[in-house]
Amino acid sequence: MKRGLVSWDKSELPPEELAARLAAVHAIARNKNLDVFVLYSDVWRSNDARYLSNYMPYWNRAFIVVPRDEKPILLCALSPRVYPWIKTVTVHETIIASPSPPATLFKLCAERGWKRVGVCDLEGLPADLHAELTSGKVELVDIPRNEIRPAPSEVEVQMHARAARMAREVLEKELSNMGAQTDHELTGRLERLLRRAGAEDVVVLVSDGQGPPIPAYGAAVRPHTSVVVAIEHNGHWAKVTRNVAGVTSRLPARDGVTELREILSGPYSWEYMDDATTPAVVSLQLEIRSQNQHLYYGDTCLQGKEGLRVL
Amino acid sequence: MLKLNPVRKKEFLDLMAQRGWDLLLFYGDTWRKDHFRCLVSVCFSGPQAVAVLTKEGEVRAVVTHPWDVEPVKAATSGAVTYAPRLVDGLKTVLHDAAKSVVAINGLEQMEARFVRTVKEASGTAPATATTDVEEIRRVKTQEELEWIKKAAQLADRGYEQFVRVARAGMTEFELVAEVEGYVKAHGAEDNFMLVASGGIEVTAMKPPTARKLQVGDSVITELTPQINGYYAQICRTLIIGPPSGKQLESYAIFAEAQQAAQDLLRPGVDISDVARVQNDVFRKHGYGEYTGAQYTRVRGHNLGLYPDELPHVLESVHYTCKKDMVIICHPNTYLPLSGYMVFGDTLLVTDTGCVSLSQTEKRLFQA
Repeated sequence: MKRGLVSWDKSELPPEELAARLAAVHAIARNKNLDVFVLYSDVWRSNDARYLSNYMPYWNRAFIVVPRDEKPILLCALSPRVYPWIKTVTVHETIIASPSPPATLFKLCAERGWKRVGVCDLEGLPADLHAELTSGKVELVDIPRNEIRPAPSEVEVQMHARAARMAREVLEKELSNMGAQTDHELTGRLERLLRRAGAEDVVVLVSDGQGPPIPAYGAAVRPHTSVVVAIEHNGHWAKVTRNVAGVTSRLPARDGVTELREILSGPYSWEYMDDATTPAVVSLQLEIRSQNQHLYYGDTCLQGKEGLRVL
Repeated sequence: MLKLNPVRKKEFLDLMAQRGWDLLLFYGDTWRKDHFRCLVSVCFSGPQAVAVLTKEGEVRAVVTHPWDVEPVKAATSGAVTYAPRLVDGLKTVLHDAAKSVVAINGLEQMEARFVRTVKEASGTAPATATTDVEEIRRVKTQEELEWIKKAAQLADRGYEQFVRVARAGMTEFELVAEVEGYVKAHGAEDNFMLVASGGIEVTAMKPPTARKLQVGDSVITELTPQINGYYAQICRTLIIGPPSGKQLESYAIFAEAQQAAQDLLRPGVDISDVARVQNDVFRKHGYGEYTGAQYTRVRGHNLGLYPDELPHVLESVHYTCKKDMVIICHPNTYLPLSGYMVFGDTLLVTDTGCVSLSQTEKRLFQA
């Protein structure tokens, strides 16, 4: 759960970058003759909302509503008492308290005469919201995600790279010090250091060399221990994996090594990706068999037509 | 360690028999893993996981991350399908579900495309089982209570760490980092934690900011560590430096309100009354307007596999409390005396009343 620092560093993410993304959505609205565009967000499906308005919810559901050629409106189930804070870390100037985002959307549609509503990945909406939205009150147009989010921009790549550097530096230093006796202690040390460095969220998984990486359960840290660190920094995820033995491998994998490729710039924090050519920020996780043990090694990369580049 | 909850499995099978369901699906996503974990207690890594309980008692599962296969298989002793795309996995696991009556726990959170896949496999729209399953989950099993007690103990230790490290000049996010690191090092699987710091300008809790703590600040937190899936929560307020008269006056009202809830809570009590007795304390002191939605959210909530389980403790919510429910009563709200203040303990409903699982002293803390 997100409970670390949520901030907007405008030197890192210039307002002009967000304005350009919004302008692209406005253009789609014009081209498809939409009155308004809608995008869903919740605490673990926040990457797209963050992309559009830098909104990173720590809890609850929300719709980002982009009227054609207007600034985006946030329909948010969080309390209005936190709206002043939300305004400091997003582009939203208008936030409407919405226990039911579809109900508020319909009210806005009625008030402003919006009839044709584009919804980002309509079938990806939670079922209750989908049922409410498709009740026939407005005309809905499904807008595929890839129309909203093209290849990662240089700004995005740099922000993922910064998150990856944070994860890599902290993880490699901790494993080289070997101060932790158990996976719980190691997880706690990583969590503390990464959150002090400004991570918004941290997920640590540990493999004991016998099975896959899982949440810590009190096992001793041994030479065949591998540690996966996923962190979110200012809305951008990175995933880095190292093992105590120091075994590494080429990225992408060679023969005999199992590779797992996950997209870090998709709607979820991470999910499987079978396409090895579409430009995206990805996590590459390798399982290396060594002396009847399973070692893991991985990093965050920029995937492009020309291949992979470790960030 | 509890992996496949046998007591719950029997209760779910009884529910299926009552409702005439052939298959009961437990859908979890990264946010609401609890819908899955109430049957299969595995903290999965992928974006989604589904467990399928047949009316004969067989458990199958679909996971969307390869690292989830082994732990889920170990927990269920049943077939586990790995499918990076859940739609494909649902088709596989429901290949023999034609004409079956299917219900889904967590249906509301499920992506619409997944619900459509279930419908196409069974031939009819699945029913929601979420409310029925929530009702079963409200009363905890003895094993669940042991995990919640452990989580409550860790919340106490986590708050000790909070008091130990909080000091003027430290940022909110550094303070949270110290506590997060501590509870993780001592066995927390996760921790839901909100904070705020300052004076009468503070109207809510939120994620930590880069604001530096100052002498005179109220530093408020709700700390909610999770052990083996189960959450317990503690809410306390700490003052940087000596507390002012108004901060002490405010704290006394919160303590009185929380105690009123603790004194009332027992089996058979309407949860609405548990909210009302807290609000009545504020009314008695002339602060009744600060018990409404403009200034506060809830006067408490159920705890379990989700940190904010229903029913909420609100005067508008009616629910008869039962033995072995676990509820945090926290009259957290804004008061003009000293800004937003928090105070609450995790309470276990017993035969005749309730006991606090929180051992942290009931006082206004000072750093």
